[in-house]
Amino acid sequence: MRVSYQWLCELAGVNDVPPDRGAQVLTMAGWNVESVTLLDLSEIRVGGVISLEPHPTSRNPLWVYQVDLGNETRQIIAGVDNAVPGSLVPVALPGTTVPNGAVVRDLKIAGVAGQGMLCAADELLLGDDHSGIMLLDEGEPGQPLDELIPSDAVLDVEVTPNRPDCLSHLGLARELAAALGRSLPGDFMPPFTGGIEPPGTELVKVDIEAPDLCRRYIGAVISGVTVGASPRWLQRRLRLCGVRPISNVVDVTNYVALEYGQPLHAFDLERLEGKRIIVRRARSSERLLCLDGEDRTLTPEMLVIADAERPVALAGIIGGEESAVTDSTTEILLEAANFDGVNVRATSRAIRLRTEASSRFEKGLSPELALAGARRAATLLSQVAGGQVHVGWADEYPRPQEPVRVHFRPEQIDAILGVHVPLEEMEAILQRLGFQVRVQDGDWDVLPPVFRLDVTMRADVAEEVGRIYGYDKVPPTLPGRRRTRWVPAAPSVERRLDSVRHALAGSGLTEVLTQALVDGSLLDRMGLGEGMLQVVNPVSEGQDSLRTSLLPSLLEVAAANRNRGRAAVFVFEIGRVYLRRPAEPEGQPAEPQRLAALRSGLATASGGRSAFLELKGALERTIDSLAPLKLTYERSSSPLFHPGRCARVLLQGRQLGYLGELHPTVLEMVDLEGRAAALEIDLEPVLAADPTRRARPLPRFPAVNRDLAVVVAERVEAASLQATIESAAGELLESARAFDEYRGGQLPPGCKSVAFALTFRTQERTLTDPEVDAVVQRIKTALAERHGATFRE
Amino acid sequence: MLAEILEIRDSGLAAAAQADSDEALEQVRIQYLGRKGRFSTLTPRLPLLPPEERPRVGELINESKRAIEEAVAARSAQLARERLERLGDTEAIDVTFPGTPPALGRLHVLTLVQREIETVMETLGYHVEIGPDVETDWYNFEALNLPVGHASRDMQDTFFMNASEELLLRTHTSPMQIRAMERLKTPPIYAAIPGRTFRRDATDPSHLSQFMQVEALAIDEGITVGDLKGTILYFAQSLWGADRRIRIRPSFFPYTEPSFEFDLSCGVCGGEGCRTCGGDGWLEVGGCGMIHPNVLRNGGIDPERYSGFAWGFGIERIAMLKYDVDDIRLFYENDLRFLEQFA
Ligand SMILES: [Zn+2]
Repeated sequence: MRVSYQWLCELAGVNDVPPDRGAQVLTMAGWNVESVTLLDLSEIRVGGVISLEPHPTSRNPLWVYQVDLGNETRQIIAGVDNAVPGSLVPVALPGTTVPNGAVVRDLKIAGVAGQGMLCAADELLLGDDHSGIMLLDEGEPGQPLDELIPSDAVLDVEVTPNRPDCLSHLGLARELAAALGRSLPGDFMPPFTGGIEPPGTELVKVDIEAPDLCRRYIGAVISGVTVGASPRWLQRRLRLCGVRPISNVVDVTNYVALEYGQPLHAFDLERLEGKRIIVRRARSSERLLCLDGEDRTLTPEMLVIADAERPVALAGIIGGEESAVTDSTTEILLEAANFDGVNVRATSRAIRLRTEASSRFEKGLSPELALAGARRAATLLSQVAGGQVHVGWADEYPRPQEPVRVHFRPEQIDAILGVHVPLEEMEAILQRLGFQVRVQDGDWDVLPPVFRLDVTMRADVAEEVGRIYGYDKVPPTLPGRRRTRWVPAAPSVERRLDSVRHALAGSGLTEVLTQALVDGSLLDRMGLGEGMLQVVNPVSEGQDSLRTSLLPSLLEVAAANRNRGRAAVFVFEIGRVYLRRPAEPEGQPAEPQRLAALRSGLATASGGRSAFLELKGALERTIDSLAPLKLTYERSSSPLFHPGRCARVLLQGRQLGYLGELHPTVLEMVDLEGRAAALEIDLEPVLAADPTRRARPLPRFPAVNRDLAVVVAERVEAASLQATIESAAGELLESARAFDEYRGGQLPPGCKSVAFALTFRTQERTLTDPEVDAVVQRIKTALAERHGATFRE
Repeated sequence: MLAEILEIRDSGLAAAAQADSDEALEQVRIQYLGRKGRFSTLTPRLPLLPPEERPRVGELINESKRAIEEAVAARSAQLARERLERLGDTEAIDVTFPGTPPALGRLHVLTLVQREIETVMETLGYHVEIGPDVETDWYNFEALNLPVGHASRDMQDTFFMNASEELLLRTHTSPMQIRAMERLKTPPIYAAIPGRTFRRDATDPSHLSQFMQVEALAIDEGITVGDLKGTILYFAQSLWGADRRIRIRPSFFPYTEPSFEFDLSCGVCGGEGCRTCGGDGWLEVGGCGMIHPNVLRNGGIDPERYSGFAWGFGIERIAMLKYDVDDIRLFYENDLRFLEQFA
């Protein structure tokens, strides 16, 4: 909210606190001041226009002014000609910094010298008008402008949504005064100052048909109004707060909203059919031509103000064109009402229109505020629009606001804050904020001011006391009481995942983090759309679905890095994917923790095979870092992967995911050239496995090592050869591992040679060569029988 | 023959002493002591000598061979010594040549920061609680004192996952406050809650629609605002150094009462005010407050007996402050040139 500091200080009775200090005091009391804009007009002078003529040579439209500054005459060049001889205008001389930040300099345009600037309203931060030179209607040439328009500062204050009472100068003035240790000079409720007959209740009849949505409706009749421009002081304050002056009647309603926080509306009473106000729900397909020029179709969820015939305003949001105050209006009905915040918010969202009024109502205002606002506005209207206020206002208030008292003992406030606040100080703070305090035997009973609907319990009072007392006076402590219960320490999932990260980083992979919301259409095209959840209201198509796989994002990382000159990446990510649960598709999805890795930029088929084996090795090292587990692999196929280079990864027979080279068409979808190998597995089963390890005794006898080159048909896989070796060898075989694959040479076509490193050992003695020879022979026989293997020496 | 033996011995000793390499020395050994060496050629002539001379001559041959063996060994040791002495010259490398590190990947900078945060909290006895990213309206809003239709919901613009708006992407980690209370049931509860969060905001150098938060939750008997301040101060000093200060400013969150924003004293100017901190000496870090009694009640905890605090902040924000990163989007662009700057 934009606040005039001068207005604020006037209401707070403060005249000795500069704006910066005031901003700091407000900030530490909970009113974050985002900016302070000083509005110093002492450098700007009033100038009297003597003459103007077009620039003699310039091709741009420029005018050369002669301006009287009292003791001197200056020649000034301007781009507009709305000031005429006799006009009074604001002049900034060279060297001056204009309030909007511009510095004025001497200049020369096409041979003509200019010695200053004639200012537009927006350059002086006195409005948003930039169409011409600002014309002053008073002042003496040479006079400093701040003698006509006092200097001020505009504070941009962040008002939290629980305090709509402080979307007002009066509310913030009370806060400023309280934080400075002072009290507000005036009463909250302005007096009602006289009135004429007949009573307003005889001139208009008000009914609330929807008391659940309208808690109060005050209609004050003011007659004999002359609609015209507001006085300058009023216009200026509105402009400082970012509100454009329209006419005295409308300006007063806006002014009172800024002062008290109560939105108001003025109807032309003569344009209200039947001189009736009915607050009711709209009927289906009723229409209202609103003040913003939009013709809106209403629904029965919306609350309207209607006359005898039709809706004349959308309650709490915007007025109707046909009942609006015009230049010829003389009799007005001033509305000060209270509408249900939830309903106003819902309607405002439905019609996509948020107004000054709706943004106040939706936060929930006190119905007591309506009367204060109505009285203040009536007084102002009689002052600035010549109106006469009628006695006997219509005031429908079916359920008056119940006072909410809060009971506590002051030590309970201390116990929340963690500091002892002296009793007198606690009481004084509450009183400065408008609370009534009753103390009896150490029990406190406080009554918040009527406009404070946010204070209902002890913690709320503690907040009031704390923020004015000052949280800097609360000593920092650590909770450290004698505990009798605790939760034993256990490594978090994140700490366990760190071992995965370190194993992968140690294998040369760099960790990336990508976003959970991704482009759903890409996932669909990659065949990953099953179980995908889509966002109902995405901000962009690139982020419209929750990912079902990490791999598309890793591929995008590879493509982005390739675009920046890194042709190959070797990366991994640990993160969640999101999958609808088949049993409960509308409930919360499964969010399994996945690991994915990618090596991109591979040039050849053999490079693809090496990367595959490298990823496989890294995966095994990684799994082993979590728990002593053995993975198995089966040839498989998946839409993402190369049909001949894809394996299912299994843990104890359960599928964890896939490992393989990526399918060329998948790479094409993200515009990646070359080959790439990747893996993606579920980490949950691995995390759930028992991580316990036990030391084995070291072998006491030496091992015997033998290499065996097994020649078999191309389709025979290493895993099945290994299984045959293990089952044929018996107990003496300690380990068998395939370490080389060879083709060509003297091998028959369609065959390959797989070299195994065999290690034999027993715990009882040193093995002899003949013993080992016998076992190797058994292995060879089995391989030959089962796989048609021959052997290379 | 004796003279001949002595002549061979002396020439052998001289050859050994002059040998200037292991190879030359080996040649000397073979030439004199080998199977076809010069002493070997004498052996067949021994039977030709008178019997009484044979022992003496044989003795002299053996002594001579031993002498040459010793000379070869001594020369060999001397050559080894000389080699060691010259090693600095003969095997010198250019030690200023650039290193060739073994391939090693890096951890993501947000992982590093998150771990640091969790480690500090774990030293205070907090344990890490992890929860779902796709939440229900109840846990994300309703249970946190944000009823349907409440204006405060506008503070957190939400991605919805179904038309009824019942399922959504959590806008903060606070739903885990309720889940932690439900899981642990009886205080004391000290939990640190990291996780992804989502806001329907436009992305710019200081905002993301998907980001990471951590929040700390303490529920116990007699928890105060002072405890909240102390815990944040402990955390800030652990992360940034013992000279840092914090301040809390009153603010508003529906799920805490009282509520605050907390600021960290600027590390560049030490709180004097500079361009980094926008001139006031403080950097905004996060939000905090005393858990609202309604929230405790919704988590099944008696607010008359227990009180608690919660505080939270964006992990990216902490990483930006820690590593002087000026654009939050860099964390998720995964440009390896950026990621490789962190250990
Ligand atoms: Zn600074």
